[in-house]
Amino acid sequence: MANVSDYSGFWVFAEQINGKIADVGRELLGKARELADSKGVEAAAVVVGDLTEDEVKELISYGADKVYLLSHPNLKLYSSLTYTRLLEDLVNKEKPEAFLFGAGPLGADLAPRVAARLNTGLSAHCVDLKLNEEGGLDQVVPGFGGSLMATIVCPNHRPQMATVMPGAMKMPEPKEREGEVVRVDVGEVPSPSPEIVEFKPKERSAVALDGADVVIAGGWGIGSEENWKLLEELAEVLGGAVGATRPAIDEGWAPEDVMIGQSGKTVHPKLYIGAGISGVMHHVVGIQDSEVIVAINKDPKAQIFEVCDFGIVGDATKVLPVLISKLKEKLGE
Amino acid sequence: MPQAVVCVKPIPDPKEWDRLSLDPETGVLKRAGISTVINPLDKNALEAALQLKDRFGWTVTVVSMAPPDTQKTLREALAMGADKVLMASDRALGGAATLATAYTLAALVRKAGDADMVFCGNMSLDGSTNQVVPQLAEFLGLPHASHVVGVETEDGSTFRVTVDLKDALLTLQHSGPMVLGLTKEANDPRLVSVMGIISAQSKPLEVFSAQDLDLDPEKIGQKGSPTIVSGLFMPEIKRRREILSGEPEEVVDRLIDGLREMGVL
Repeated sequence: MANVSDYSGFWVFAEQINGKIADVGRELLGKARELADSKGVEAAAVVVGDLTEDEVKELISYGADKVYLLSHPNLKLYSSLTYTRLLEDLVNKEKPEAFLFGAGPLGADLAPRVAARLNTGLSAHCVDLKLNEEGGLDQVVPGFGGSLMATIVCPNHRPQMATVMPGAMKMPEPKEREGEVVRVDVGEVPSPSPEIVEFKPKERSAVALDGADVVIAGGWGIGSEENWKLLEELAEVLGGAVGATRPAIDEGWAPEDVMIGQSGKTVHPKLYIGAGISGVMHHVVGIQDSEVIVAINKDPKAQIFEVCDFGIVGDATKVLPVLISKLKEKLGE
Repeated sequence: MPQAVVCVKPIPDPKEWDRLSLDPETGVLKRAGISTVINPLDKNALEAALQLKDRFGWTVTVVSMAPPDTQKTLREALAMGADKVLMASDRALGGAATLATAYTLAALVRKAGDADMVFCGNMSLDGSTNQVVPQLAEFLGLPHASHVVGVETEDGSTFRVTVDLKDALLTLQHSGPMVLGLTKEANDPRLVSVMGIISAQSKPLEVFSAQDLDLDPEKIGQKGSPTIVSGLFMPEIKRRREILSGEPEEVVDRLIDGLREMGVL
């Protein structure tokens, strides 16, 4: 148990891969800023890597009062044991009340180990964070594939830790603000153990789903790689990005990194069109913040019709070509 | 013989999750009548261990923290080829968040004797926290890797482990025990054979209480869990739900008009 009143401020672990700070860190800073402001405390970002002050100071404009920079050539690549030890030391020294991580593979791998080391609580894959009456953090998480939501609290341990789905928090507008980069003395850093023998960056998909105004998603009902091109064409007409459900990715029609849903991305476009998607909660939890949801499915009983604004009962591969040609015509007007 | 320890969690069958409901009075989750299955990714963990058994003669021990009525589900792991099951089953373990779960599993792994490798599913489908693998490793004082998409070894002593970081693939090399969280890309789990089912009946399945495992009562179950569920709710969905059917031309016209009304076109 920790003396709760000794802990103050909202921290974000801004993860970097290959020297690039991931967007989820900036998204979380927006939320940390909001929470910090409502309690009148500090928001801070923590970056571990091989980076300069100049490469991390942009985080100030996203809401950080302080950016703790832990930099060393041996920290360039992620090593759970080394990163855990450094974060443990920093938390014990500075005592933040909350520490937020992106729920991507790096944050989801690191945060639990840090939480166990610090003997504190960690909620997983939060979709919402808010202050409760006691000034603690209410952490809303989906369970059972999103068919159920739970509010998690961590009353007697600090920091309150959470991983948050990429895209679940809106990206804040960067602003001119005051803040400082604090270089933390990391001392001797051993090379990563277990040894990293290979690091292969992957190619990114064409249009990023995160932040897209229009998202066209396809599921198993699309039926073939040939038909999948219809989604790409529709996305092009509307200036959107293409996402997919797990079964479509398993079929090889779309790359892994465009999966939308609980264990993939959360999107909040103005317009979401889901074609050939049955609408299991796993997927729905990733699209429910869309402004307008359109569903096309030939099964009138498909679950997605329960959560849509417009539902078209019909074969997506017959409806999509008509939709594409009419949109071309009407948007051209 | 070297030993692989595999963590297995029985979970409510995902195919029946639409039957989950909340008791409106108490807010308690009602899961009665829903069947129990092995968490799917735990089968990938089992497969990785069984390959070491096939190739190098390793012993495969399954550990699980679960209610006593899930023994039948755990027998399925024996039917796949595991040698024995060590199970922690005790009311005092109920309500455990991941920290208390990992602490309990660590005690079971120690009970199994020297583990030369610990395999887990990367996450359980019901909780989906992704947390037990790193936390179990922390309690055991071992390195870990989660999101594992490949485990390779030439000799059964040096392992190359490939991790999917979404933006990159990272390959680790290590000799000595680790805790690995496997994804479904890692392998294709074998099916259960009739012979497997028959031989599973005579394989050992030991059940331990918290006391048997010398667990600290402050660190298990709800007491050992820093986080508390303060509320459960069904997600509320408010949508227009205008359902269109008919000829593609007609429905598409109506859709485009509707989208214009809502200001998104």
